[in-house]
Amino acid sequence: MSFRYYGSRKSGSIGWLLQRITGIFLIFAMVGHYILMHYTPEAGHSYDQSVARLSNVYWKMFYLTFITLGLWHGLNGVWSILRDFKMKHWVAVTLYGVIIVSGIAFWVLGVTTALKF
Amino acid sequence: MKLKKTNEGYFKLVASYRKEVGGWAWIIHRISGIALTAYLYVHIYALSTLTKGKEAFDAEMALFQTPIFKLLEWILFAFVLAHTLNGIRIVLVDFGKGAYYHKKAFAYLTAIGVIAFLVMGYFIFSKEINYLFAGLI
Repeated sequence: MSFRYYGSRKSGSIGWLLQRITGIFLIFAMVGHYILMHYTPEAGHSYDQSVARLSNVYWKMFYLTFITLGLWHGLNGVWSILRDFKMKHWVAVTLYGVIIVSGIAFWVLGVTTALKF
Repeated sequence: MKLKKTNEGYFKLVASYRKEVGGWAWIIHRISGIALTAYLYVHIYALSTLTKGKEAFDAEMALFQTPIFKLLEWILFAFVLAHTLNGIRIVLVDFGKGAYYHKKAFAYLTAIGVIAFLVMGYFIFSKEINYLFAGLI
């Protein structure tokens, strides 16, 4: 990642495409997530029900994908907003670092929670 | 390439554009996107209580069932709706022929969003609504 001339050297087209692909996945995942969590508010929120879901290998795979793609989509989005600003070099490096470090930290937190059951 | 310095700030520049629906959709998409990313961090952190056992998790879930959190959840749904529905519009513009009908799409998707928001309000507050109108029905 070249920060000084990132506008000209990297078009960001791969990020653009992946943002749309992950976005399309998240549309379907989010609809399912909301139906599950809110159609019957009492279902699905307790400890036993959550652990039962995470103990199922397919649910686990779904949640790992959801966490990964959701975080990537969100943080890539934040970075693409920041790229619109005329950032000084050190500001760009710092913000990019904050995005990467916090993203990995929360990804690890989410994944370890899902993998524990 | 050396970027030329201008005296105009980013926000001033964006605010100065005459905006049609696409411009407003762009702004709403960015604001809701930042809010949802921030919420995703909170969400992952909140659910990590699962590893602390049944009592800690169920106590937390009971907190989220209080009216103030229900209201916050409803507002969150507005952000999710705005971002999801406008995301559909963006995909149609970028991958389909959405450029020809994106204003119409914005109008229809806004209508769908308002309806979905109200329906979700009923689901979230069904207990309170039933309690309030129990005497009338």
